[in-house]
Amino acid sequence: MTDIGLSHLSRRALLLASVYAATAPVAEAQTPTPRRGGTMVMLVHPEPSTLATYAVSAGNIPPVTTQIYEGLLTYDWDLKPAPALAKSWEISPDGKTITFRLQEGVTFHNGQPFTSADVQYSFMEIAKKVNPNGPVILAELTSVDTPDPMTAVFNLANPAPYLMVSLSSNNMPIVCKSVFEGTQPLNNPTANRPIGTGPFKFAEWNRGQYIRLDRNDRYWKPGLPMLNRIIARFIPDAATRSAALEAGEAHFAAYSAVNAADIRRLQANPILGSTTDGYGMTAAITALEFNMRRPQLAKKEVRQAIAYAIDRQFLVDNVLYGFAKPATGPLSSVFATSGFYTDQVRRFDVPDRLEIANRLMDEAGFPRGADGKRMSLYLEINSFGEQWLRQGEYIKQALSQIGIDLTLRSEDTATWLRRCYTDYDFDINEPFYSAGADPVVGVHRHYVSSAIRRGTTFVNNKDYRNPELDRLMDAATREPDQARRAALYHEAQKILVEDSPGAWLCEVQYVTIFNKKLHDHTGPLGAYQALDRAWLDR
Amino acid sequence: MRAGLRRFARNRMALAGSVVIFCVFLLTVTAPFLFPQGAFNLAGQPLQPPSLRFPLGTDALGRDVAAGVAEGARTSLLIGISAALSAVLFGAAVGGIAGYYRGPIDLLLMRLTEFFQTIPAFLLAMLLVVILSPSLLSVIIAIAAVSWPGIARLVRGEFVALGGREFILASAGLGASGPRIIFRHLLPNCLSSIIAVGSLLVATAILLETGLAFLGLGDPNIMSWGLQISAGRVSLRSAWWVCTFPGIAILLTVLSINLIGDGLNEALNPRLRKR
Repeated sequence: MTDIGLSHLSRRALLLASVYAATAPVAEAQTPTPRRGGTMVMLVHPEPSTLATYAVSAGNIPPVTTQIYEGLLTYDWDLKPAPALAKSWEISPDGKTITFRLQEGVTFHNGQPFTSADVQYSFMEIAKKVNPNGPVILAELTSVDTPDPMTAVFNLANPAPYLMVSLSSNNMPIVCKSVFEGTQPLNNPTANRPIGTGPFKFAEWNRGQYIRLDRNDRYWKPGLPMLNRIIARFIPDAATRSAALEAGEAHFAAYSAVNAADIRRLQANPILGSTTDGYGMTAAITALEFNMRRPQLAKKEVRQAIAYAIDRQFLVDNVLYGFAKPATGPLSSVFATSGFYTDQVRRFDVPDRLEIANRLMDEAGFPRGADGKRMSLYLEINSFGEQWLRQGEYIKQALSQIGIDLTLRSEDTATWLRRCYTDYDFDINEPFYSAGADPVVGVHRHYVSSAIRRGTTFVNNKDYRNPELDRLMDAATREPDQARRAALYHEAQKILVEDSPGAWLCEVQYVTIFNKKLHDHTGPLGAYQALDRAWLDR
Repeated sequence: MRAGLRRFARNRMALAGSVVIFCVFLLTVTAPFLFPQGAFNLAGQPLQPPSLRFPLGTDALGRDVAAGVAEGARTSLLIGISAALSAVLFGAAVGGIAGYYRGPIDLLLMRLTEFFQTIPAFLLAMLLVVILSPSLLSVIIAIAAVSWPGIARLVRGEFVALGGREFILASAGLGASGPRIIFRHLLPNCLSSIIAVGSLLVATAILLETGLAFLGLGDPNIMSWGLQISAGRVSLRSAWWVCTFPGIAILLTVLSINLIGDGLNEALNPRLRKR
């Protein structure tokens, strides 16, 4: 493996650093004016295994592919739809027809003009068939009409309020029909050499080192993008990634590209800045899920007692290094902007929570034995990293306070997933939920009884069945009125927290670390958004 | 044997090693009384530097590092000794059978031994732990499974060398059975080498165990030095004490066992006796 890319970057970074040192005081004295040109380096971790974002939903792909592909819509800071490839849209009063007017003069990177035929193909042939979220988000989409090249009409079987918040370049990228027609989408030659309409064109992928994206000179937004080039660098070692930021060799690191333990140190570095903006559509929550097939965990009191026993603030402070906040229920508080979130539920963070928990355990018929123990249970350790073992170690101690003897079991990813989602041979599991843009996308499947699907990962493995909750979530799926939808979700949260099929622990707060020479880098969708306006001070 | 022990006692380094190991043993015995709450107990504020209350500081969850080092000592010794013992028993059996009976059995067993020797020990141990799912027993089995080939080769070599000697031929001539010759005549004559190599195996086993625990392949319910270091690694630059003390414990223990092993080898090996 040659290291040409790296040494080139280092020299460039040194050069930039010296120029910066000379001009820094001036730059701070006045508001900087955007400048064209330059190469931005972002850290992406781990390296994506594919760039076929239209068929694979892995969090490390979109930071690269949202520079290349675009969606019909993007979203503003309130996560309301904003124009992208669609310049305007109209929803029929019955909510069953959505008409998109498309941007004119847009071309794909291969020179083909962008038309409504590409939209039709991207949704009906690609997204509905191979996108992992297609079956949920596009369940109601029956056809896409193309009355003229600049108009696409979505026909829905039922109103689908969640559809309009799921059309970003990350969720539903628009691909070029002529490139895909007659091929297997996953084996398409452009799967790893993507062709889109975005501000940057794919240039090369040096596996194990970097992906290079070059400026799209024919981009449809006048004057954009500002940067000449984006390099997505892959560095396996966490300490080296942090060092690359400290040395000014990398300008941008989002999601978990930086180890949480290093964030405070990097924030103190004068050349680096940090932001928690741009993660509004992530809504990530850490949780416990209970196997209600087990006689002890079939009792609501036991599940609630466990929820009471855990000090969520301790997990925030000591396991997530402060980059989180305690969760109150199944919906993240980022859904407060849409009105869906409520904290008017049973609260587990009360001062006498341990007394309540012990009383509940007594009431459930599990008195303490001679050794102080009421029951023994297993906790399956999430195999996606060390943070989960720390969380498990804390929960073991926390549950010992209410007489539960918890044994931790850590297995490799495949065995863990099989045990929890196929064999159902677990007591308590510690999963990680990403709700996505709408509860329909990533919340319903954990609780509705129709999502008890043996062998499907990250669905309702708890055997939780509550007809009332099923009804509420089903109604919320179809309810076009935002306020009425919110009321349905408020009711659903109350029921879920009361029933506690799981215990919701922390809302994870991601932090983006960036070099202060990089400006205008974070939009409402954070790293899952094109860096067309980003520019570099030199 | 008694003369050997006297020679061992004259070896200062080996004696120093024994003193350290004795202290480690003492620690494992007294740990339940010194730290009755156990090593996983959230004893105080997280990441406190060493103080009077927490002489070795606390880790990222507020657990007493000293309690972890004490309980980790028990884990290390338990796993080290039982894995080494299993490896010696199994290795000696395989090597003994191969060296005594020779012929096709020898060929088969030695090819099997070589098969295990050609696979990198640590990778094989990792694979076994992943397959068996991490627990105390699976870690011991994995370490024993990668440690026995050395002993098997050693014992076979000794048996082959001793096999042609007059006293063996004589007992065979007098009608002694195979097991009698093996256990009464052959094994006692190579016991000194087995003890020396076996004691070194304990050190290797401890290192393997810490390595596995460091990679998250230890039993998550048992405190281990490797687990402590892996948990403290992320805060190394802000809280040096979390990694450092278990690290020192590993260094001292492994070094001492090596010194003891060397001392035993020198004391019991007739070829080194003149030194």
